[in-house]
Amino acid sequence: MTSTLPAATGTEVAAQDTRVPVTVPAPRPAFRFRSSRPDLIVCGLLLAAILAVQGWNITAYPTLSDDEGTYLAQAWAVQNGHGLAHYTYWYDHPPFGWVQIALLTWIPARIAPELMTVGSMRFVMLLVSAVSAVLVHVLARRLLLPVWAAGLAMVLFGLSPLSVVLQREIFLDNIAVMWTLLAFTLAASPSRHLWHHFGAGLAAAAGVLTKETMLVVLPAVFLTMWRHSHRDTRKFALTGAVTACALIGLSYPLFALLKGELLPGAGHVSLWDGIIYQMSRAGSGFILDPHSGSYGVLHSWLYYDRVLPLGGLAGALLVLLTWRWSVTARALAGPALAVAILTLVAMRPSGYLPAMYVIQALPFLALVLAGSAASVVHLVLNRWRGGAGRRSVTWLRYTLVALLVAAAGVYVVPRWYDGDRTAVTADANAPYRGASHWLTHKVQDPEHTRVLVDDALWLDLVHAGYRPGLGVIWFYKADLDPAVTRTMPGGWRALDYVVASPTVRRDAVDLPNVKAAIEHSTPVATFGTGDDRIEIRRIDQATGGNR
Amino acid sequence: MGIWGDLLLTSVFIAAVSLALFWMAAFTLWWQMHAWRTPEVLASTRFGSPDGGEHLSFSLLLPARHEQAVLDHTIQRLLESTHADYEIIVIVGHDDPETAEVARKAAARDGRVRVVVDHHERKNKPKAMNTALPHCRGDVVGVFDAEDQVHPELLAHVDHAFRTTGADVVQGGVQLINFHSSWYSLRNCLEYFFWFRSRLHLHAQKGFIPLGGNTVFVRTDVLRDADGWDPDCLAEDCDLGVRLSSVGKKVVVAYDSDMVTREETPGSLMSLLKQRTRWNQGFLQVYRKKDWKQLSGFGQRLLARYTLMTPFLQAFSGVVIPLNAAIALFLDVPVGIAFLTFLPLVTAAVTFVFEVVGLHDFGKQYRLRVRFIHYVKLIVGGPFYQVLLAGAAVRAVWREQRGRNDWELTSHVGAHLTAADVIRPSREDVAA
Repeated sequence: MTSTLPAATGTEVAAQDTRVPVTVPAPRPAFRFRSSRPDLIVCGLLLAAILAVQGWNITAYPTLSDDEGTYLAQAWAVQNGHGLAHYTYWYDHPPFGWVQIALLTWIPARIAPELMTVGSMRFVMLLVSAVSAVLVHVLARRLLLPVWAAGLAMVLFGLSPLSVVLQREIFLDNIAVMWTLLAFTLAASPSRHLWHHFGAGLAAAAGVLTKETMLVVLPAVFLTMWRHSHRDTRKFALTGAVTACALIGLSYPLFALLKGELLPGAGHVSLWDGIIYQMSRAGSGFILDPHSGSYGVLHSWLYYDRVLPLGGLAGALLVLLTWRWSVTARALAGPALAVAILTLVAMRPSGYLPAMYVIQALPFLALVLAGSAASVVHLVLNRWRGGAGRRSVTWLRYTLVALLVAAAGVYVVPRWYDGDRTAVTADANAPYRGASHWLTHKVQDPEHTRVLVDDALWLDLVHAGYRPGLGVIWFYKADLDPAVTRTMPGGWRALDYVVASPTVRRDAVDLPNVKAAIEHSTPVATFGTGDDRIEIRRIDQATGGNR
Repeated sequence: MGIWGDLLLTSVFIAAVSLALFWMAAFTLWWQMHAWRTPEVLASTRFGSPDGGEHLSFSLLLPARHEQAVLDHTIQRLLESTHADYEIIVIVGHDDPETAEVARKAAARDGRVRVVVDHHERKNKPKAMNTALPHCRGDVVGVFDAEDQVHPELLAHVDHAFRTTGADVVQGGVQLINFHSSWYSLRNCLEYFFWFRSRLHLHAQKGFIPLGGNTVFVRTDVLRDADGWDPDCLAEDCDLGVRLSSVGKKVVVAYDSDMVTREETPGSLMSLLKQRTRWNQGFLQVYRKKDWKQLSGFGQRLLARYTLMTPFLQAFSGVVIPLNAAIALFLDVPVGIAFLTFLPLVTAAVTFVFEVVGLHDFGKQYRLRVRFIHYVKLIVGGPFYQVLLAGAAVRAVWREQRGRNDWELTSHVGAHLTAADVIRPSREDVAA
């Protein structure tokens, strides 16, 4: 018998729902961002406000930083096929961060190569900010916060003067934050889908490969996943996510292995050396010791905003203390743990605390603070409500909430107004623009001129016709990169100019060649005044002899 | 061309193979994990609780060939069923007096047992069942193997599932239990676990399903309309499922660890290889019969094509994955290409991890003690099992090419039964 059944003509054999009806565990009240009109409206309006404040005057404020220039120059190197960096890539950070910057800036850089400078390319960071801000809102809703609190988290995250300043800059941390927020959002997926959790692991790994310091936040991602997964599928979800994260994370050492640069050896850089360098960076002291560098960094943050960092810390403390009683506190366990871990790491007395460190904490501070606000409001409105509350009591409750809101507004609004007004009006980069203009137009033969600059100017000079790498030289490399020092047999004498920006002057102390170049040169043009000035100094060839 | 041309060619080739392997493994993994996608999906794979009403009558087919040692035990256990209306039809060969004797004694003891004798010169399971089909009086025909341990409440659950879903076919779970017997039985058990616990539900949902060999229930009229089983196919179970689902018959799959039919793995590596060869060859035959082409959806046909070819893709990937990685490590290809070659390894690693978690879940579900050494065996045995699967696949192709499609039966030693249940001599494979 090999006959086949006659085809059922005309009847569609569609995919069937063949599941046996049984008592399915009641799904949690599902929040669907895409189909929730209030959420879309709140999120859309706030996003517009955030983009307006962050985008307006983005090129002129804050001051261009050497790090931004480095990441962008490395992205430029990727785009132009020069490898993973504008100098030898030495495993200082995983390259995924600026590979993404290269992708984001690819199209504008194709259209107009001279746009590839720090000031103009800051605009791509708006895209990162926008995605992160929306993710903060979605995550807040998935962590069971009401719409207004999700909006508040978004405002705190996107409009705090501290956020505005830091999120404008081309920092890897901002991109890593975006990935980590995606990981949190997927971990808290209301459908508790295995592959959402798997995706959370992938996103977390992408975050770590963008900026390795995100590693410390991973426990908070997995805690969130633990809390949001179902007992019956949890072990598959969590092991899947951890596996995904680990496997993608391992691609970095694998990359080093394939290039033969995993372990140290003669004549090449190595991942091992890179890690040793990062782990042994000189500590910046205990953060609460007024004489330490870390204390200075902390105060540079608090200068822009106290509400988000300090309020967020207090909120995290509140969440941890009210863990047993408050539903909101338990829902916020993940972000609160992230804040706690990042705080403890910052408190290491021997650790190095970079200025952008706080960027990683911003979304979690915002979520925890907004969640605490939601808890307090809920407490005032609903606690000790016996049966049908009397009308006067209800009225009193609302008055109290209104007073709290007003008090918070009176404290926060003027301070943020000042901070954000500075951000949208101040021009901190006139000296850089002046220096760039001078070096572009006043130097006769850029192709045969050698200049020491910090990376904020490096791409400007490449576009002006200086030779990338050995003509326009990132000042650190004049002392630290054998491939560059080899071309400078006479040390500072091999140079024509040194552009003494605040960064160059600060770090010249530990860089003999740079220091000598500054000492054996005279300013030919100065832009700005005081400590922020940028001097273009010509090397004194009379005292230097032949080059 | 020269060295650059060679390098480019190698690179393109490696990249293409790597990506193909990656997607193959990724899809297989995706489907394997179907039941655990969400808690709701997992809950929906179980049997619904019976409501007490029993309206269907069952004819349970029990083909037995040289199974005198276990047959009586199986019949006894089937007679313990809580369902009120069923008959057991034991099918024995005319040349197998020992088994027939056991069956006749059982029939004499209990009126619900009947014996049908199969007089075919060359015997196989589909012929035996086709012989019994005209004798079935029940609304639903169920199939069990002579060594199966069937749960007493299974029929009540199946009855409920038929009535509440309007299904034409209900496939219950089958589970190999003796994971501790050997390294390959561990992997074999886990294969069944992932297949019946998870993957089959996806097939039922997509409307294309290769049925299992037992614990399968079909409405008698549907089965008769389909002319029963294909006597020339080595995987008549798979074939029946493909034919029924291809014309839109509704198939429901339900899996409850309490309710599964417990079986044993083949007693030796060689008999496992023979069993797998037979299945693979059967899959190949089903593929060549082209019944699946009647499926209306493009996706369904693709799933059918892929599923029926899986043994061969598996064989192929088992050989190529390590080769590919070795090429990447030792040949001087660009870093980007070398990276791609690791993609299949990534999916393989994820599969391994999920297998470990699956073994843990298996132990929990069946209240079996899974020790650390079993996890080690699972991991270490993985590549060797791949070799076995690849061997079976190659053997199947070779046999199909040579036109050899006789049955290589699997012998059963009763490892899934506790020692007190039964003591039986082990038996050589039956050469047909």
